[in-house]
Amino acid sequence: MRKLQFVFCIFIIFALVLSACSSGESGGASTGDKKVATLIFTQEPDTLNPLYSNMYFSLILHQVWNVWAWQYDDQNNPYPVLLTELPSVENGGISADGMQMTLNLRDDVVWSDGEKMTSADFAFTYDMYMEPKNTVSTTYPYDQVSSIETPDELTVIVNFSTPFAPWLQLFHGILPEHELGPVFESDGTLDNAEWNKAPSASIGPFKFESWESGSFLRFVKNDQYFGDKARIDEIFVRIVPDDAAQVAALQAGDGDLGIFISYPDIPTLEEADVNILTVQSGYNEGWFISLAEQSHDAVKDVRVRQALIYAVDRAKISKDLLLDKTQPGASLWDNSPYVDSSLKPYPFDLEKAKSLLDEAGWVDSNGDGTRDKDGVELVLRYGTTTKEVRQNTQAIIQQMLAEVGVGTTLLNYDSDIFFASYGDQGPSYTGELDIMQWSDVPTAFPDPDIAYWLCSEIPSDETPQGLNAQYICDEELDALFQQQASQVDINERIATFQKITKIMYDQVYWASIWQDPDIWAVGKRLADVTISGSTPFYSIGSWDVK
Amino acid sequence: MTRYIVRRFLQSLPLLFIISLVLFLLMQNMGDPLATMGGRTPTRSADRERLARQLGLDKPVFLQYIYWLIGNDWTKVDLDGDGVAETQGIRRGALRGDFGTSLVAREPVLKVILDRIPNTLILMITAEVIVIIGALLLGVYSAMRPYTLLDNIITTFAFIGYSMPIFFIALGTMYIFAVNFRRWGLPYLPTVGMFEPQVGKTMSQVMWHMVLPIITIAVTSFSAYSRYIRSTMLETLNQDYIRTARAKGLPKRQVVFIHALKNASLPIVTVIGLDLPFLISGALVTETIFAWPGMGRLFIYHVSRGDTPVVMGIMMMIALAVVIFQILTDITYAWLDPRIRYQ
Repeated sequence: MRKLQFVFCIFIIFALVLSACSSGESGGASTGDKKVATLIFTQEPDTLNPLYSNMYFSLILHQVWNVWAWQYDDQNNPYPVLLTELPSVENGGISADGMQMTLNLRDDVVWSDGEKMTSADFAFTYDMYMEPKNTVSTTYPYDQVSSIETPDELTVIVNFSTPFAPWLQLFHGILPEHELGPVFESDGTLDNAEWNKAPSASIGPFKFESWESGSFLRFVKNDQYFGDKARIDEIFVRIVPDDAAQVAALQAGDGDLGIFISYPDIPTLEEADVNILTVQSGYNEGWFISLAEQSHDAVKDVRVRQALIYAVDRAKISKDLLLDKTQPGASLWDNSPYVDSSLKPYPFDLEKAKSLLDEAGWVDSNGDGTRDKDGVELVLRYGTTTKEVRQNTQAIIQQMLAEVGVGTTLLNYDSDIFFASYGDQGPSYTGELDIMQWSDVPTAFPDPDIAYWLCSEIPSDETPQGLNAQYICDEELDALFQQQASQVDINERIATFQKITKIMYDQVYWASIWQDPDIWAVGKRLADVTISGSTPFYSIGSWDVK
Repeated sequence: MTRYIVRRFLQSLPLLFIISLVLFLLMQNMGDPLATMGGRTPTRSADRERLARQLGLDKPVFLQYIYWLIGNDWTKVDLDGDGVAETQGIRRGALRGDFGTSLVAREPVLKVILDRIPNTLILMITAEVIVIIGALLLGVYSAMRPYTLLDNIITTFAFIGYSMPIFFIALGTMYIFAVNFRRWGLPYLPTVGMFEPQVGKTMSQVMWHMVLPIITIAVTSFSAYSRYIRSTMLETLNQDYIRTARAKGLPKRQVVFIHALKNASLPIVTVIGLDLPFLISGALVTETIFAWPGMGRLFIYHVSRGDTPVVMGIMMMIALAVVIFQILTDITYAWLDPRIRYQ
């Protein structure tokens, strides 16, 4: 009896403690007079210094605390932020020969520590990107700039070595010269600057406040911000690495916003009154077909490549696997100004696929259910990462291709192994696979530039870091890709991309499986949320907490 | 004993060296750290070449290991790619306490690790203490009443707990106690994190957020430990000297906890001694699911990014802890069993 009483007392105490501790909301809320929002990231940003990380979760935070010279709205249109207007040939901001660009800075931009932002900050940013003692994540596109002039505090003149069309990729994050200049002077590098993880000067609607490793980052309203003051007082970015835990936290209200929601989780979140936003970020899940010397002979024949894509019911995959939230695309430039809207995705047509394979000489001569030619079975090595949705897609596509007598060997790798370079014997870049599947995007969407279709990027012992995993060297395509990079006139550039798209479409050098939008979950307490595919938090200053 | 301890430490030095070499070689096959540096797009080939040069990844593996071990401040490195090594190296090497800089976080490895160790120790030591005490009580209780209804119930639950995947327990408890309890209007636990960011890192917050992770760890560990204690206790309780102690009329509590448990503890101490060093490495799955900012999460994330310096730092710390705890285990043996002598 005494034992039972003891157990009962323990239970009562436990229930009381639970009640005491669980009061109050923990996600986004108005805490006292403060409006607080909690964003959930599934990966911790590597660093906050734009020099040192291209990681998505580092980049998207820029719009919170360190706005870019220009950003993109929810239609992915660029607009000036730190400038009075976007430079163009028409307004004289870009010279007719495309070799020079003049940026006129706003005169009311102030860092959160009270120091005025000037052209010296732009020049310093360029210098730091190009400084060999800084192990920056990429020197592109600053390595296309030959020099920068600062005739006065509010004017930046950028000189290019050749006309440079993708100039919108510049100045994604400005460094404060007055803070980091002395650090570079004393250390000879910014690699170890404390500022990288604790920036003491911000230039966004919020300013950095603290970073608890592995837990969260905290940003507070920046009263020095030159634009409209933020409506939310504090932003917490909480790190929750497990996808299922992220969904649970959003359901429970422990977070107000999450990203990269997987399709099967959408109904669960919608049931919990969480809004789902589908945002086009230029990504396209697609097949990269390898034409390497060691690739299967079949995929070197354009008729077989076309047959493969005719044989896959991509609309069904989008409908059944991705809950009809997306659709197959036609080109790598879908949802950008450079799309050729006259091109439609190849339809699902089994008979067409079969006749193309017959025409190419691949028939099932031995009756084993798989086509063959000259004693070689048509079995393709089809590889991708270990991401669940890709593995599921592989399994479905394997069945679809089997319908037309094409066999597949499915292979899956961790991302760092799948994307490892030729030099590191990665399966993609060494031509071990016939079909590779991943989601890709132009380097700085919505700018259309992509480097990895160039012949010079084909990996080899001499160029072990080459990025052309497809081993495709189409001279016409190569020339067009080189041409577009220097076309400052947007209409000429669009025309070039339509030619590029047509070649890639006809030759099936790449094929979309589905357009791969980012799926965001927005909790019911957050209001006025709009998200851009390129700079997601472009409007975070106007978000509100109910 | 002192000579024994010193000798064991000296013997462990070549062992640690071999471990470091093997781990470093294994890390070379763990993926390409430069592959994921381009963010969501592949790293440009020109950047790969430059970064490999600046980070020393273009050097032969044996030279990379030497730089990791003894540093590169005795030589010059080529940072600008002109083929001329003109910049003095700044790394001091692991032997001088410099485990390098994380390729991902761009911070000294020791800082990256030391930021997380306290969080892991708070979770793991609490869990271990609860598990050991609980398992001792259950194990001894079961051994004293073998094959009774209660023993069978404990055995059944122990096997259920042991056979359930840890991620299932973690997500199951999270959905029941954090998501559904809140939905049903009942008192609820937090889903993720070590504390509420808005409230701060207070003791009550940390304890509160620890409940579900500890339940998760305890359910599986409890089972293994309690079964082990039960079987060693059962064996000991059937020994002649226990029968003698009982025949002498010693109180039951004294027989069980002084005579039986102390002698049954030797194999248990071995198991705990082997487990303790791994407290530092954290609970990989539990920390990931509950977003606990500990070493397990740190390890798996940096492995996935091919961050050799951080992974080497963590692994060497664990290797050192294994050596130290093995020596401590030997010392405990001698304390528990006076017949054991170390020369």
